[in-house]
Amino acid sequence: MTTTLVAPKLPPSTHPFAEIVHRLEAGGSMLPDTPENLMQIIGIYKAYAVPMDFYWRDLLYIAEQVFVDPLPIFKYIIPEEYLKLANHYAGENADLRIWRGPATAHPELLEFMEKGELKRKLPRILHHLWHDRINMEFAEECMRAMLWHRDMGGLLDPYMDSEEYKQNADRAIRAYCQGNPLLMGLYKLFPDMFLELCRQATMYSVLGLFWEVMAPVFFEMSDLYDEGKITSVPEAMNFLVNAIFSIAGRPIYHRVRIRGEWYDIVPKSKGFTWLYEAAFPYVEAVFYRTSPFRGTKSYNAQANQVPVNQLDFHYGILYADKFPVASAGIPPTLLHQDMYHFLPPYLVEYYRKHCRGEDDMLIQLGISFQRSMYNVTSAVIQAGRAAFLYPLDDPNPRHLMMNRRYFEGQLNRFTRPEYGIREAARLSYIQDQNYR
Amino acid sequence: MPDIIDIAVSTEGFSTLVTAVKAANLVETLKGPGPFTVFAPTDAAFAKLPPATITTLVQNIPQLTRILCYHVVPGRLKKADLANYQSVGSVEGSPIDVFIEGDVFEVNNATVIQADIEADNGIIHVIDTVILMRPHWFWPLLASADPQIRQRGSVSAR
Repeated sequence: MTTTLVAPKLPPSTHPFAEIVHRLEAGGSMLPDTPENLMQIIGIYKAYAVPMDFYWRDLLYIAEQVFVDPLPIFKYIIPEEYLKLANHYAGENADLRIWRGPATAHPELLEFMEKGELKRKLPRILHHLWHDRINMEFAEECMRAMLWHRDMGGLLDPYMDSEEYKQNADRAIRAYCQGNPLLMGLYKLFPDMFLELCRQATMYSVLGLFWEVMAPVFFEMSDLYDEGKITSVPEAMNFLVNAIFSIAGRPIYHRVRIRGEWYDIVPKSKGFTWLYEAAFPYVEAVFYRTSPFRGTKSYNAQANQVPVNQLDFHYGILYADKFPVASAGIPPTLLHQDMYHFLPPYLVEYYRKHCRGEDDMLIQLGISFQRSMYNVTSAVIQAGRAAFLYPLDDPNPRHLMMNRRYFEGQLNRFTRPEYGIREAARLSYIQDQNYR
Repeated sequence: MPDIIDIAVSTEGFSTLVTAVKAANLVETLKGPGPFTVFAPTDAAFAKLPPATITTLVQNIPQLTRILCYHVVPGRLKKADLANYQSVGSVEGSPIDVFIEGDVFEVNNATVIQADIEADNGIIHVIDTVILMRPHWFWPLLASADPQIRQRGSVSAR
């Protein structure tokens, strides 16, 4: 047998993660392509999509109706109309049908909201007080991360400081306070606080619109996997890349409904898009940065244990120590708890066979979640490469070198020695199937 | 002399661009005095995008307008003028990276396949890829992998 050797266009990478650089250059993911990884990430996408179907609906409800309420006690008690709100990317009348399923709230979500873990039909407020519910605290933590970590690209961030935004906010806040002298008095005393609450409401909207897309994407991936139509990790990643491209131009906006009338805070006409104003900032804020978690570990800022610049924050899911701290922040135990309710049977079976079986299922599924988010990050990296750089099979060596520098630059975020970033990053861990 | 729109309409291979410009209500602007420098993607360039991407943009005119405005630079800039810049500011607001070395003429990740088409109100450069705004972290990220990347686009195939 003769073998034709094709000379590689570039010499091998000398990056500490050279193997992963080469995998990305070949169209792969940061996550190794094994059937076990594929099963874990798809199962988790499905388990994530169900609570996410609640998150995006409630986020939009809070952005549009709770708005700047200083005491939003009932913000998690979502009205029926938001459960029936048609997802723009599912159902028969979708703008672009990504998931074949219905546009209204997922049946498993509705069942859980009705009966909860107790499996008993009780008034929703009792389920809520018993904490037998979807944990919106996780969604809000993600929202806050996006609000705190500013200057992550896109035009929305500077827009929120513009005079135009302030005027839009003022108009809506005045309408909201109308007829309530106490609230109006508070607004006059603390206008900046209300403006900041309005910015937070804008971020609720941004995250809601972001996840409105991701939920049907994950549902469809799960269905395709069940049908045997997604058979490898790169296929799963490429489905995500295509989805990212397909809805890249989706408008990002914020509007508020006050006494039946809509007020634009961030109008659609600004031209803000899902990719630039939501997806990239989301990945940066939530996957990479977030904030140090509280409660079980102390940080000494004077000893430089917390970065001086927010740019260097590295507390996101990609660096998370999957320790059950029962918090909304990273590692998001509250999200793990949410996903636990909706695991597909094959994943429950899988976790039973490993570690401590059911006893540490929250940690096991948390690590599957970490793997799955490395795959989503890979999709974002590949989408960025396709959008800003060159095809993987580009014949021009200079173009290929640009691609390589981009991949290496991305992976450098897991190799930096400052503040223990290198030690915290889980990229090397997820290469090993025994990390669970 | 014909204006930018006249040239695009009468030249074969720009029907997608013309349709998009009409949908985004930019015809009047691009027929105006300008002057503008337009990086005009061919039909083949648009065809490289997934069909769903186009569907979403056509459904959302302000977003489509933004992407199209990223292909327009104020002023009359021929290849020889652009050779003086590493990047130029688009009407959208984000910079467009320029790489010119001998016969090679690129903007962002697109190659200029026909340069310096003169119109009454500007200059058209034909490109083979629809260009998208590179976020502000793009060059610092590449520079973290190769400290020699000081200039935009100056990566050598070592």
